[in-house]
Amino acid sequence: MPDTLSPMARMATIGLRDAREALRDGFVLVAIAALTLAALVSFVTGAIALNGDAATYAQAKALLLKLGKDVSVIAAPELYPLKLLRGTVEQIEIMGAVIALVAGYRAAAAERGSQALALILTRPLHHWQYLAAKLAGGAGLAAVLLAVVFTVTGMLLPWVSGVALSAGDALRLVIAWGAGVLYLAGIYAMGFGLSLWARSPAAGLITAFALWLMVVLVAPQIGDTMDPDNQVAGGIYAQLSVPKAEQDRIKAGFALYETIRGGIEQASVTKHYERLTFAVLGIKDSYTGKPLGPILTEKRGDLLFLLFFTLGIGGVVLLRPINPDRLTKET
Amino acid sequence: MTVMLIVRQALSGIVRDRGVLLLVAIFAALVAVSAFLGWSATNAVNAIYGQAVDWLTAQGAVVPPNPMHQTPPLASLRNLPVYISFLGAFTAIVIGQELVETERRAGVLPLIGSRPVPRGRVAVARMLALLIATSFLTTVAGAVAILALLSLPLQMRAADWGALAWALLLGWTYMSAFGLLALGFAARLQGTAAGLLAATVVWLAITFVLPALTGNVNPTAAINPVSALALVPDTPFFHWSSRLLGPVSLSEAFGWLDARTMGYLPEGLAPRAPLPLLGLWLAFVGSAAFAFHANKTLDLNGGRDA
Repeated sequence: MPDTLSPMARMATIGLRDAREALRDGFVLVAIAALTLAALVSFVTGAIALNGDAATYAQAKALLLKLGKDVSVIAAPELYPLKLLRGTVEQIEIMGAVIALVAGYRAAAAERGSQALALILTRPLHHWQYLAAKLAGGAGLAAVLLAVVFTVTGMLLPWVSGVALSAGDALRLVIAWGAGVLYLAGIYAMGFGLSLWARSPAAGLITAFALWLMVVLVAPQIGDTMDPDNQVAGGIYAQLSVPKAEQDRIKAGFALYETIRGGIEQASVTKHYERLTFAVLGIKDSYTGKPLGPILTEKRGDLLFLLFFTLGIGGVVLLRPINPDRLTKET
Repeated sequence: MTVMLIVRQALSGIVRDRGVLLLVAIFAALVAVSAFLGWSATNAVNAIYGQAVDWLTAQGAVVPPNPMHQTPPLASLRNLPVYISFLGAFTAIVIGQELVETERRAGVLPLIGSRPVPRGRVAVARMLALLIATSFLTTVAGAVAILALLSLPLQMRAADWGALAWALLLGWTYMSAFGLLALGFAARLQGTAAGLLAATVVWLAITFVLPALTGNVNPTAAINPVSALALVPDTPFFHWSSRLLGPVSLSEAFGWLDARTMGYLPEGLAPRAPLPLLGLWLAFVGSAAFAFHANKTLDLNGGRDA
């Protein structure tokens, strides 16, 4: 790296070297293929399940008409194409986060493993420039990865659902992509930081995986299983045939329980990403078909949490000096 | 060099590993949490039922039976299989990886290769060390579960304790299968953490992708012990995919077996494959065979990390 290069050019050099390395050993292609495949599996199985619901409805409707009965007693399954992306979003939450963690680990292990980090830092390069280049590389990888996933599923949506996407739908997909990039960039920064700070990058990766389990799976799991409506197949209120107004009255008596449950869920960045994306894409019924403006206003808390999470972790990684005892593979 | 000497050495390396200790501590804490979660959620449902009954009676409507009534006490631990399939299996994967990786990092593989010890015996010793480590994990889970069950207002009968022991044995089998798989991958793949990543990819596919194909459409259904026990959607695609992939969908087989053992399996829900227990044991035996072969043929003197 010539000494005359500007700071931006130095950072770009490091970022491009990482990109070349990831392309050469196939990591980027494998990551894109794995996430796209997982997303497509969920997308297609979701569409098939919905198709099954529609066929069941058609059969029930035909039977009622044959018997001369009112068909309004059965609810028709609603088809909003973006709802089919539920499984895709959930795969990004889980598999996408693992790919981001591993990418962060690789970014730290690349120079530590080849003993090159000590050499790089002998050059006239500020630590923050090296770290910023790595973080920007991670955000870039997340952007490309999710662009492929959303482009492929977005192209298949009209074909699978039989309903063309509007410009508004495309905008919603772009917002979901942006939220996903923020989410994965934060997880990448966590994997990168821990792998850089740990005694060995592999120990950092294990710690990052432990945190991933807690943040992505366990915290939402605790919140989900504390929901009384999830304790009974089909839902407790549906099974007891209690109308909505009475449900709300009963729920009001469990305010403290619900506050604790919600608090545990909200400790997880995954849940904020999910709530924001499910609302924007109309996956959650209460947001289906609603205009985007009010949804974004209501969900700005989730967006802010996502922003603070990513900028916070990125900031810590950027500001913490590189420990001279942690420059090699094993210390 | 005896097998037990290698086992002792391998286990002492695992005990010093902070990453493993962190995972074991989180696992133990979550087993305790699972008991509290199940108990508190059951209480919440019972309270909701009580209020619903008051309203239904006032309306003169038919009062359905309490869906949680006569739920066996072990059902309070229904989150335990979820934590075993998440944290327990992942901890076993890390242990399997570390059993080979520690020796590779320390550069002692060529030294072991220079000793007059059959390679098969070294492989068996590593597998034994892994099974002892997963037995320890299971014992921790069992001890915490027993303490939690005794501290909650639940009536446990002798049969319930037997069912808990069987559920834990199933958990041990499930965790060990993944640990042995990671042990095999760590021996086969030389790159740092490559074995960990390969085994993790298999674990992710089994936990979150296969259930989506066999009928549990949304990946996050796997995190809820009730949602994970779903009926196969009534379409030809899911009937066929369930039939074809059911035998290898291990997380669903394990979840179904533990739900039946602990008494919270929905009535009439069939497993994805006809013989889930056989599938689980075959996975264990297959992983063991892979771990044995990979460790027996591990190049002790070559390879970039040896």
